[in-house]
Amino acid sequence: MTAVRKKISRRRTPLQWLFEAPSIGKMAPGTAVFVYGLLLFWTLVVLFPLYWVLITSFKTALDVNNGPVFLPWVDFTPSLHAWRELLVIDYEDTLRSYINSIVIATLSTALCVAVGSMAAYALARITYKPKFGNILLFVLAMLGGCYVVWKAGVDWKIAMTAAFAIWFFLLKSVGRFFKKSVGNGDILFWMISQRILPPIVTVVPIYMMFQNLKMLDTHLALILTYTVVNLPIVVWLLYDFISGIPIELEESAQLDGASRFRTFWEIVLPLAKPGLAATTLLVLILAWNEYILAVFLSTSNAQTIPILVAAMNAGERGILWWSMCVVIIIMIIPVVFMAILLQRFISKGVLLGAVKG
Amino acid sequence: MKKQLTTLVGSAVIAGTTAFSPLQAAEFDGVEINILTRPGPVIAQRMVERGEEFTEMTGAKIRVNEVPFAELFQKILTDWATGTNSIDVAVFASGWAVELADGDLLEDLTPYVEADEKLQFEDIAPFFREFNQKIGGKTKLITIDGDFQMLYYRRDIFDEMGIAPPRNWDEYMAAAKATHGKDLNGDGEPDYGSCIFKKRNAQSYFAIMSVAAAFSQTQGTGQGFFFDPETMKPLINNEAWIEALNVYKATGEYGPAEELNQDIGDTRALVQAGRCALAIDWGDIGPLSIDESGAAIRDKMGATPMPGTSRVLDRETGKLVDCDAERCPHAIDGINISPFAAFGGWSGAINKKADDQVKQAAYAFLSYMNQPEQSNVDVTMGWTGYNPYRNSQLDDTSKWVAAGFSEEFAQNYLGAIKDSLNNPNMASDLRIPGTAQYQGNVLDRELARFLADEITAEEAVANIEAGWEEITEDFGRDTQRDMYKASLGITN
Amino acid sequence: MSTVGKQGTPSRRARTHRISEWLDRQSSTLFITPAVVLILVFSLFPLVASLIIAFSRFRLRAGSYQVRWVGFKNFEKQFFGSEQFHFLGTFKGMSVLGWVVATVAGVLILYWLYRYCRQKFWWLGFIGRIISALMAFGLVLLFSATLLSGHQFGTLGVTLFYVFVGCSLQFAIGLGLALLCAQPIRGRTFFRVVFFLPLMITPIGIGYAFRMLADTTKGPFSPAWQWVGLGDFAWSTDPWAARLFIVIGDSWQWIPFVFIILLAALENIPKDHREAAEVDGASGWQIFREITWPQLLPVAATVMLIRLIEAFKLVDLPNIMTAGGPGIATESMSLHSYFAWRSLDLGQSAAIAYLLLITTVVICVSFFNYVVLGRLRQGNA
Repeated sequence: MTAVRKKISRRRTPLQWLFEAPSIGKMAPGTAVFVYGLLLFWTLVVLFPLYWVLITSFKTALDVNNGPVFLPWVDFTPSLHAWRELLVIDYEDTLRSYINSIVIATLSTALCVAVGSMAAYALARITYKPKFGNILLFVLAMLGGCYVVWKAGVDWKIAMTAAFAIWFFLLKSVGRFFKKSVGNGDILFWMISQRILPPIVTVVPIYMMFQNLKMLDTHLALILTYTVVNLPIVVWLLYDFISGIPIELEESAQLDGASRFRTFWEIVLPLAKPGLAATTLLVLILAWNEYILAVFLSTSNAQTIPILVAAMNAGERGILWWSMCVVIIIMIIPVVFMAILLQRFISKGVLLGAVKG
Repeated sequence: MKKQLTTLVGSAVIAGTTAFSPLQAAEFDGVEINILTRPGPVIAQRMVERGEEFTEMTGAKIRVNEVPFAELFQKILTDWATGTNSIDVAVFASGWAVELADGDLLEDLTPYVEADEKLQFEDIAPFFREFNQKIGGKTKLITIDGDFQMLYYRRDIFDEMGIAPPRNWDEYMAAAKATHGKDLNGDGEPDYGSCIFKKRNAQSYFAIMSVAAAFSQTQGTGQGFFFDPETMKPLINNEAWIEALNVYKATGEYGPAEELNQDIGDTRALVQAGRCALAIDWGDIGPLSIDESGAAIRDKMGATPMPGTSRVLDRETGKLVDCDAERCPHAIDGINISPFAAFGGWSGAINKKADDQVKQAAYAFLSYMNQPEQSNVDVTMGWTGYNPYRNSQLDDTSKWVAAGFSEEFAQNYLGAIKDSLNNPNMASDLRIPGTAQYQGNVLDRELARFLADEITAEEAVANIEAGWEEITEDFGRDTQRDMYKASLGITN
Repeated sequence: MSTVGKQGTPSRRARTHRISEWLDRQSSTLFITPAVVLILVFSLFPLVASLIIAFSRFRLRAGSYQVRWVGFKNFEKQFFGSEQFHFLGTFKGMSVLGWVVATVAGVLILYWLYRYCRQKFWWLGFIGRIISALMAFGLVLLFSATLLSGHQFGTLGVTLFYVFVGCSLQFAIGLGLALLCAQPIRGRTFFRVVFFLPLMITPIGIGYAFRMLADTTKGPFSPAWQWVGLGDFAWSTDPWAARLFIVIGDSWQWIPFVFIILLAALENIPKDHREAAEVDGASGWQIFREITWPQLLPVAATVMLIRLIEAFKLVDLPNIMTAGGPGIATESMSLHSYFAWRSLDLGQSAAIAYLLLITTVVICVSFFNYVVLGRLRQGNA
């Protein structure tokens, strides 16, 4: 085939030489200049703010406030004062937040991906037909429970157990009269729609819930909350991904007598590895960077590192730009590390299943 | 839900305090006090250091928890109101305390203070002692930082150009105009005549109240200038506030282009870099000018009370009228000034539902921070963020000179503070439930819209009045009026 | 599951067998239960709780809280009361242009409904379309009465600006970068990792970093500003410049997300189609339109849907960069709700959040149903 192409492109005008690819997989010089030029320009756009953050972390208050200086050693003398303050003098606070963040982000990501991939697999492969009426009953029972707690002051544990029992009883007795049912698509949509909720709406009720459970300022509270907040994304991305995996392999495995769990574990998950890697990275980043929920659910034991960034805005004492930049930089490092580690998966990874239509 | 428990603990406290005397060695072994305040070196760091001393003396462990400033109040309120009670002591702006006291969440410190001799209660400047620390006549807060706004000017520049420190807003404008565009710090770039923070959702509403106070309050602190104490109608939709809004906006002409997006931190940084001829700020500029970061303004600043006015509000007509002896009894040279205690200063309060022993230890610690022996040193250091609030801190310049002030600047700075603090017409910040909504929501938003040219000054004051009425109705007019009266010390 | 090779007495073996069999029978329930339970507990309960708050005045009291039912008052305030200018915008009569645009849009929407009724009619679909049509007409009316008539629009308009301008920008640049990276270039891994970087920074950090960059007195571009003669112009004091800058900050962070997914999709398109077309002498644009774009479309739609949802929730950037200023020019609905929440007006905060939720759901579902599904059907046909 290359021979054919060479024949076609033997005689070319200068303009063609500049912009027409000499062969497949090669770029014409003009195109190359254009492509690399744009790529380098965007590299600059991405890197300049990061560079600015990096050098600001070495500046003193005077360097920042007296107008811009750009090059260390050339127009200002770099100083390690901010780094020393955070990593040597006040290292306990920094380290504690850092470890909290690592524990909370990784555990919530792991839990989220585990629960989410199971749900995604189930929705992609198993047909669910919950009766519409039963769901309605459930919601009514729970609302009734809430109402009783609110108005009559009944202990919420008793009220909720009772509501659940009543629902279960009704389910077994009248449940079979309901005809209309909802499908997998509806369940999927319901799960995804949870992501639409702005966190501000839910933060106060969640706070009160954890307060009732005496779980405020614990790692577990944040892990659970992050898991739920990010679950829709995992289900969504992995649902697309898993439904794109050819079903024949699973069918033959099931013919051989493998259970669903085994099929899931030994066939589906390995095939979904790229998707898993990309989803994991995305969820990890989201959990690592979350702020509002962290502020509310933690006081000191479970305080995460984004709070440390916000804390560098000292109100009427101005923003401690230098210290803030240090925190931002130490926050990026582990994520960059993870990204490079997972990079070879990501290249194929975030292939949303819709690709196969 | 937990009402009975509250009263139970409450009575236990009163019983406990009679036998109480602070600071006996190893008195509080094994007690841990959880303090919540905002993060960073300012305010918190000194508490950590003093806390270590305190632990050595009494055995009580001090744990300082920090949350970002913007989230501090919600955090305290939710922690205490929902009964989480993971915090024993909160250090915050005294103005916020009313909301907490309204929910009956604060320990009454009056019996503690009465039994405490080391505190030297009478040494605390009257405004802080009688207005700021008290709610409804009961001491509920212990001050660790005294806050009110003052006017700062570049003494070196003003002397050189032969300008006197401005006493009213006309003089302020003239001085700003004369100095704007000049190079003030010798870096060859033109600098600014006036730096006043104007950012939304930051502290700009404190500045506008500071300006408006002199126009509308003349009869002393007890008069108040936010509401009519009888009807609880806002005293906003009148010429005094319109004038104040116009003055505040006009200062922007001699300020940095970005002033609308600058909060106090930004303007303070500019002042420290020597780029402002005039600035409004809390007491911090004094100690900061001898700080390493303030090298450009070392010994070059002067301080004076906030500018006043000779035309003040007639509350019956809503018009501005000239001052006379009856109308402005506290005027100096015919100029009515009213230093505004914006923010009220950082103060400590104790959770009513903390354990009895924790409460005693917590009080002992707050008292330790406040006692002249400690605080008179702390206020001279810029990085602590503590501003003076005791007479002994203001009368004696030696500690300030020892900290690095020149005698001349110490006199000037402390003089300005004393002039403000001793002014019987000092204006108190709004201290009623819903303050965050009155000021942080309605006032701040309308002010920002006015500064951004979205609405006129007349529309702004009309909107603020309507918004405030709505909030008052929401909270209940009668209870709000009673709270407002009590906050001004009116008892009838 | 086979039990061969496992140790134990026959009866025990039988029992494990029974358990595993039971597990297998219940597997369909077990797979989905954890996710459903988690979402029910942590999402549904807060949703219901905040719905109650949205219809009441909420005050924290010693040891408990006080909830007073006020009906639709919190919502009424946003649409007709003292918060109208803040949420919707300032209404002071409509200009001629506003009337023209509103009328044209109304006619177009009616025609769209009419066409649907003619083609095929399904009552659920019709109701859905009525809702979308009402929302669309309402937004056009709002747009005509504020922006086109020279009045200011409120947080709803600002949010829509962030969503539509931001998402378009991110999609355009993300797609462009993905196409560039799909060229036969060296160092693709390098570019991929570098372009991915902004996504890893916490939004708060980006807010502060961009505030530093945008500072015209001490930021890095201030010499350039002075040189161009804009020393006295500050982006933060001009409403449109401030909004634009926030969109730029948000885009800087989220372009990598669009980029990385579109690139993966591009790389997955079989090469032979494109090569065949190239041999046939098709131009680059033709190849893109006929081969690349149809294959890219489903992925692009999902990406944009995710971005739409997240963009509606934008709060950190405007809060940090301008705190909603100048005036209320950069205040998004999330920020509006956040400010109300911060001043302890939880009822209003929840009401605004619910309005945001409704807007987001209607727009996202409309986008999905009419644009994405419509295109997919066309593509498959």
